[in-house]
Amino acid sequence: MESALETYLASHLSGASGVTVSSLLRIPGGASRETWMFDASWDESGNPQSAAFIVRKDPPGSLVESDREVEYAFYSAFADHPIVPVPGMRWLEKDPQHLGAPFFIMDRILDCEASPRGIQASPYDATRDALAHRFYEILAAIATSDDAVAHVRKLVPVPALDGAWKHELDYWEGMINANEMGPQPIARAAIRWLRANPPPPAQRISAVHGDYRVGNFLYQPGGIFGIVDWEMAHLGDPLEDLAWSFHELWEWGRPGLKGGIIPATDAIAIFEQASGLHVDPVALHWWEVFSGVKAQGIWLTGARSFQDGRSREVMLAQTSWSLINRADEILLRLLGRAP
Amino acid sequence: MRPDPATVLGAVAGAVAAQVPTTSTPFGQQTLGIAAGLSMMLAQDIDRAPARLVEEHRATAAILRDAIPQLGDAELAARIEDALAHDILADLHISALQAADDSVRALLVEVHAAVEAMPGDTAAALNERIWEELKESTRRRHLVTGI
Repeated sequence: MESALETYLASHLSGASGVTVSSLLRIPGGASRETWMFDASWDESGNPQSAAFIVRKDPPGSLVESDREVEYAFYSAFADHPIVPVPGMRWLEKDPQHLGAPFFIMDRILDCEASPRGIQASPYDATRDALAHRFYEILAAIATSDDAVAHVRKLVPVPALDGAWKHELDYWEGMINANEMGPQPIARAAIRWLRANPPPPAQRISAVHGDYRVGNFLYQPGGIFGIVDWEMAHLGDPLEDLAWSFHELWEWGRPGLKGGIIPATDAIAIFEQASGLHVDPVALHWWEVFSGVKAQGIWLTGARSFQDGRSREVMLAQTSWSLINRADEILLRLLGRAP
Repeated sequence: MRPDPATVLGAVAGAVAAQVPTTSTPFGQQTLGIAAGLSMMLAQDIDRAPARLVEEHRATAAILRDAIPQLGDAELAARIEDALAHDILADLHISALQAADDSVRALLVEVHAAVEAMPGDTAAALNERIWEELKESTRRRHLVTGI
């Protein structure tokens, strides 16, 4: 893969010669695509150059079926945004001949960590509250960015204010229909409840990250330096991201703390203050139940990919075994059927 | 006599987990950690799975049997009768037990949707009974995962 990347960069870095790729390493995370880091060095008009990159490559099967062009566009939509930090995007390559599958390359943000457990560790005791505050300020900025909506609207559906919920629910019910390997009576009951109790219309149509949670941002004690994993991004109701960030699974063993870092009431207050949007409790609850259905759709998709042999990533087997029943347990609580 | 599968899988999990600190790459460490955790989960389920599937099949079948008079849907009732005529103990392979359990749980989805739409105390009671069984189904499948 090093030589393939060298060949690719040589033809895409303007005026570059002697391109060398080193430190190529697959890294955890970004379960919808293979994620690799590497360093590159080259000569440009006699001047030595170097850069650190990430390549995200399409897998044969994964937890989610997503469009790399859309993911690339959402990253690009927030380039140079004053509040929403994202890595710089370099190249989107749809031709599989270079690396065996389509991919994109982006700048690597250095010296950060992403682990959900890391931010709960003692080195972050003094700064965890500030990071949590910033996390929801950034979400507010994503939710209120008209520029981002304008940037991606030709690539993705633009739902009506009163249709955003149905668009997403139809999609994830479809994923469950396509991927379940056995009946899902709890998820089906949740879907019936969601259709029988639709939320109020969205206050606006926003960029929705789609997987906005602790674990999908790059941080140091000094701040948040990258929002990553935009593979489920779309346009929709901004409360969707807020509810997803509240999902029980992302409490990381600290019950009652959203993302394991902040009480819900504090997160809502920060989001409302920064966005000017109102968080209707009824609407938020609807999106939390929806998040439970969506999570189940993701785990079932991974299970099907593994069972069908499209992927032999052990992570997909692990999420199937550990999270499908867990998702049902969470849905029971969200529906008021279990304590 | 051989060591039982649960014990073997537990030992495999421990052996794999022990290699995590000596593995040099983050992705390698993650993969080994997942493999160890997966082995532990399989170890928890491998002995109980047949009993779980038979117990669940029987519990679900009892609900379906009692629901038939309330449904007012001859076609659905006939499909329930067909499913209930199957002896789950006729084939003890886990795959066969799973298929039998899936067949009654698929019918439970239909019955649950029908019951939710019905008025009256009898339907409400059946609805509650179905929810209790669904709650019980998660207890049967529960695994200690550390997540």
